[in-house]
Amino acid sequence: MLKEKIEKHLLEIQKPSRYIGGEVGSVIKDKSKVDVRFAFCFPDTYDIGMSHIGMKILYSLTNERENYWCERCFAPSEDFEAVMRENDIPLYALESLDPIKDFDFIGFTMQYELSYTNVLNMLDLAGIPVFSRERTDELTQIVVAGGPCVCNPEPLADFFDLFILGEGEEVNLELMDLYLEMKKQGASRKEFLRRACHIEGIYVPEFYKFHYKSDGTIERLEVMENAPETVKKRIIKDFDKVFYPDNFVVPFTEIVHDRVSVEVLRGCIRGCRFCQAGFIYRPLREKHADTIVEQTKCLCENTGYDEVSLASLSTSDHSEIDPLLTELLNYTSDEKINLSLPSLRVDNFSEELLEKIKKVRKSGLTFAPEGGTQRLRDVINKNVSEEEIMNTCRIAFEGGYSSVKLYFMMGLPTETDDDIVGIAELSQRIIDLFYSMENRPKGRGVQISVSCATFVPKPFTPFQFEPQDTKEIIEHKQKLLLDSVNRKRVKVSYHDPNVSILEAVLAKGDRRLCDVVYTAWKKGCKFDSWSEHFHFDKWLEAFEECNIDPAFYANRRIEYDEILPWGHLDYYVTHEFFVRENKTAHKAVTTPHCRLKCSGCGVNKEIGGKCFD
Amino acid sequence: MIRLRAIFSKKDRAKYISHLDLNRCMLRTFRRSGLPIWYTEGFHSHPYFSFALALSLGYESDCEILDFNLNEEIPFDEVRNRLNNVMPEGMRIISVAEQVKKITEITKAEYSFSLVSEDSTEIYDAVMELLAEPEILVEKRTKKGVKTVDISSDVEIVSCELTSGSVDMVIRLPAGTQTNYNPSLFFDALKKVSAVPFETAKIRRTGIFCENNENFF
Repeated sequence: MLKEKIEKHLLEIQKPSRYIGGEVGSVIKDKSKVDVRFAFCFPDTYDIGMSHIGMKILYSLTNERENYWCERCFAPSEDFEAVMRENDIPLYALESLDPIKDFDFIGFTMQYELSYTNVLNMLDLAGIPVFSRERTDELTQIVVAGGPCVCNPEPLADFFDLFILGEGEEVNLELMDLYLEMKKQGASRKEFLRRACHIEGIYVPEFYKFHYKSDGTIERLEVMENAPETVKKRIIKDFDKVFYPDNFVVPFTEIVHDRVSVEVLRGCIRGCRFCQAGFIYRPLREKHADTIVEQTKCLCENTGYDEVSLASLSTSDHSEIDPLLTELLNYTSDEKINLSLPSLRVDNFSEELLEKIKKVRKSGLTFAPEGGTQRLRDVINKNVSEEEIMNTCRIAFEGGYSSVKLYFMMGLPTETDDDIVGIAELSQRIIDLFYSMENRPKGRGVQISVSCATFVPKPFTPFQFEPQDTKEIIEHKQKLLLDSVNRKRVKVSYHDPNVSILEAVLAKGDRRLCDVVYTAWKKGCKFDSWSEHFHFDKWLEAFEECNIDPAFYANRRIEYDEILPWGHLDYYVTHEFFVRENKTAHKAVTTPHCRLKCSGCGVNKEIGGKCFD
Repeated sequence: MIRLRAIFSKKDRAKYISHLDLNRCMLRTFRRSGLPIWYTEGFHSHPYFSFALALSLGYESDCEILDFNLNEEIPFDEVRNRLNNVMPEGMRIISVAEQVKKITEITKAEYSFSLVSEDSTEIYDAVMELLAEPEILVEKRTKKGVKTVDISSDVEIVSCELTSGSVDMVIRLPAGTQTNYNPSLFFDALKKVSAVPFETAKIRRTGIFCENNENFF
């Protein structure tokens, strides 16, 4: 029993309740009655992983099946990792406190590129060989991954037995069903993988071999073991009826999103050309307002949370947003529950909507114009006009707000210095607007926070072909922005360019990067997304040792007819569409959103007709 | 508004819930129970929960005190049962009653614990030696900094038993709004006089008392 061993050291470390389970809502089963055990691993700490809505869904869904048991597992913080390594405590799951190496499935959710090294570290802590080829041929310990990053899983291909593309609600159970069936037959790991790769949504990387040209680009992809030539993602057709948990695990310690969150829609109609989520989660599917209200009530009652947030890529695009908010606010104000509404867009931000939000939100407002000039916003297809931004700020100021947070990106395709100066000018016009208003909030000056991320080109977007700005150019632009803004009223924050470079390399990388990820981890890289743990020098050493040039991946324009590392994966949106949109972007021409006009991205063919009624 | 007092236990894994997290944990428990919680009237309306004594992380307890308010009168047993139905593992409401005594009447708390060592006889001797000292000086961390205090007249030994492998003790220490001594002060003092190292285990608050050793509840 690991429990005693763990407890012996729990008081030596920070926030011990993260490592011992026992939370309300956690599911405990009788091991002897369970056929398949699934360790759902989030490759970051408890505080972050416990906030992830996908884990909550798949955890509850799997545990609905009496003979399947899904448990949670997170990356330990540095202090506890040291304790674990020193005392031979293998990585364990929080429900049973059993080592995850004894589980049937070890499943990771890949939410961001900078969590890749944590996967290796967790496998190592678990006592599971990090390379899939080094694992046993017995049918056990199947290491799988899903989540947005697996739309290009190649930089992780050597570490996983299979990837789950798209939405997991159906395919996860199909995979476990197949496993159970083959386990009973005494099949081997290989035999299982051979059959699993024919389940739609399952990609088994070892059956695919890349051949490269001398210039480093891909020559061809060799498909083995009769595996499918292309692997299609999975989606849930009837999103309104899809399983949603009626309970969450309620943590003791405070987590990042410590509240009930209800998914209101999946996919996005907008088509912002930089946004991976906007394409890989297509088509847009909504839950009915009644369903959302019902799920909100149920979760609040069962968890005891007094805060709810609506989760989606763009909540204000819900077709029933007004009645939804009215009904939700009736419930939440009666029950003294806070409602938070992230992901609201500038352009459909009506006065009535603001009135409703004002009742619940007292802090500042956040908008994401993304580009400083109209030209650039047209390039990225962020269909927001300056008039709309100004109008929204006016409504916000009239409503008593005096601080506005603006998100921008830097290094976007076609961007010039004028576009960077445009960020400063736009901020200044918002400041001027504030002071021109008679009815502005009194007593305080206006404060604008400009948060400027560095553009990272991502697979399955029209900008997948684009090179990222080099570090020198990014730094030049950051300095230019700082020099251009009104420092008294505008606070500028931006990212470490090295982080964005690494993200670009890992996002668009091919299978040769597996060695880099491994080498970087061996050099001690982990928690790369935490600035205090990020060691770019070690990554550079790893690239060097593996003879890989990061610029090949980050700073090179990809030709339209190149074979892409993710070219055999089908996320419903066609390559032709991405090429077309890329060309349209370079003409600074916008594409209307899906509700206004179908842009022919290819998704409707996959779902048999129309995306909208 | 109905003022009530719950006595609850906090054991096993629940001992890792920090005092800071306990408030949030209780609020959620009350909300799950569906009991009519009373909220303050102010701008930031919030429920009223008051824990009489903070409990150190890792300590168990049979006698934590929580004062709270409800909007309606509900039988004590029903309140207790409804809370226990939705309590986290390791926590139980033992009783619910009116708030008879004032929290300020608390003067002492009782703790049981084991001092674990292969050489428990040595530890036992060290305890006896320590208790015989005219003064027991220990460093106590307060908000204002570290100060040296003499706890010799404040440590009250209820029992001290030698077993193979441990010394099992029950002691009472000042607690409440005036002076609050954590058993760790006693452990610190003992470490200074003990020739062999020991580990503390099974630390549990077992009682809360007023003047004249009268039970608080």
